[in-house]
Amino acid sequence: MRSSETIVCAGLRRRFGERDALAGLDFVVEAGETVLVTGPNGAGKTTLLRILATVLRPTSGRVAVSGHELPARAADVRREVGYAGHDPLAYPDLTARENLELYAALYAVPDARVAEELDRVGLDGRRGDRAAELSRGMLQRLALARVGLHRPSIVLLDEPTAGLDAEGRDVLRRFLAEPGRTIVVATHEPAWFDGLGGRVVAMAAGRVAA
Amino acid sequence: MNARALRALVRKDLLLELRGREVVPSMAVFVAAAFVLFRFGLGGTDLAGGTRAATGMLWVAIVFTALVGLSRSFAHEREGGTWDGLLAAPVDRALFWAARTCSTFLFLAAVQVVALPAFWLFFLQEHAGPSYPVLVAAVLLADVGIACLGSLLAGLASSVRAREVLLPTLFLPFSIPLVLTAVRVTTDTIPPQTGGLDTLGRLGFLALYDTVFALLGWALFEYVVED
Repeated sequence: MRSSETIVCAGLRRRFGERDALAGLDFVVEAGETVLVTGPNGAGKTTLLRILATVLRPTSGRVAVSGHELPARAADVRREVGYAGHDPLAYPDLTARENLELYAALYAVPDARVAEELDRVGLDGRRGDRAAELSRGMLQRLALARVGLHRPSIVLLDEPTAGLDAEGRDVLRRFLAEPGRTIVVATHEPAWFDGLGGRVVAMAAGRVAA
Repeated sequence: MNARALRALVRKDLLLELRGREVVPSMAVFVAAAFVLFRFGLGGTDLAGGTRAATGMLWVAIVFTALVGLSRSFAHEREGGTWDGLLAAPVDRALFWAARTCSTFLFLAAVQVVALPAFWLFFLQEHAGPSYPVLVAAVLLADVGIACLGSLLAGLASSVRAREVLLPTLFLPFSIPLVLTAVRVTTDTIPPQTGGLDTLGRLGFLALYDTVFALLGWALFEYVVED
């Protein structure tokens, strides 16, 4: 692993029952790079992000994030990674503020940062509303606020444009444009990210497509 | 132990219960229904097995009531898809077990605040009051054991398709030593019976049971939720 390589996957395989979601994936992301992972449904994009976020264990192969081998050094990786999954990962019966306070405690960041992040994603006025009362786009913004809470150096986003309104898309653009981060986005809309200087990696059947 | 994270996780469970009212009311209705069935189905307070039969019914009702609550353990995470958010956080995953153990204990204790007086009223109204310090110690120790064991097994069951079947299948056999001991200690609290040193020994067994399943829960939960 070269020092500039933040994410390295070599022969990465993940099996669910009889099906290989990842079938020997080779994938490298340089530090500070933005990579857009595209491909049809079932290509393995979400599985890749979940493994990088340490939520899922690989079946075989090698994966390292920031020089830490997974799954052995997962605890070190978790501090550096911000992950927004396909679902918003918010409790519907908790308010926007309460959801972020929970994650602030889990990531050991001050509660004051909750208000900062809500303000940054334009949800300050809805902080007392339950997540169940927020629109899909607002939940996506809440997810971005959660991802930004601990100022991660690596950001993993799964379909972040889904359901976003115009204001949400501005928030996402500003978030992605912030310097100093390595970003991996799984998306069906790579064209939306034009201008952000992202490298497109197409996946098919659990591998990088030729 | 990350105390702030533990507090936040327990607070989350309590807020969700306060707003959703899914677990405690269901447990309360279940235990009340069980007492009514026992009371009228088995012919009033004059039970053939005496106080031992009555306390046996109490603990059978409590264990099944706990199962009602445990069956909803991790339901918010499973149904709302929030597991991934928790699992990606840089905290020891045993903390999720510890938090769920605390909230299960609190839910069970809240139900028992109503259930225990109701039990005495239904089955033991002709007896003098129990030895409260021993009774409280027995109930708290048994609740801790139920919460430690139940949270571990609920976490295990939450990741499989047949979770509704798996949880009671695993939980009930493991809870047998706890239930048998809790029945004996509770019986000892009812005058004129007293267990003396035996009661102390049984309370010690409950404490040992709690310690074993607390250690197992803390050590194994990481592997239980591993996907």
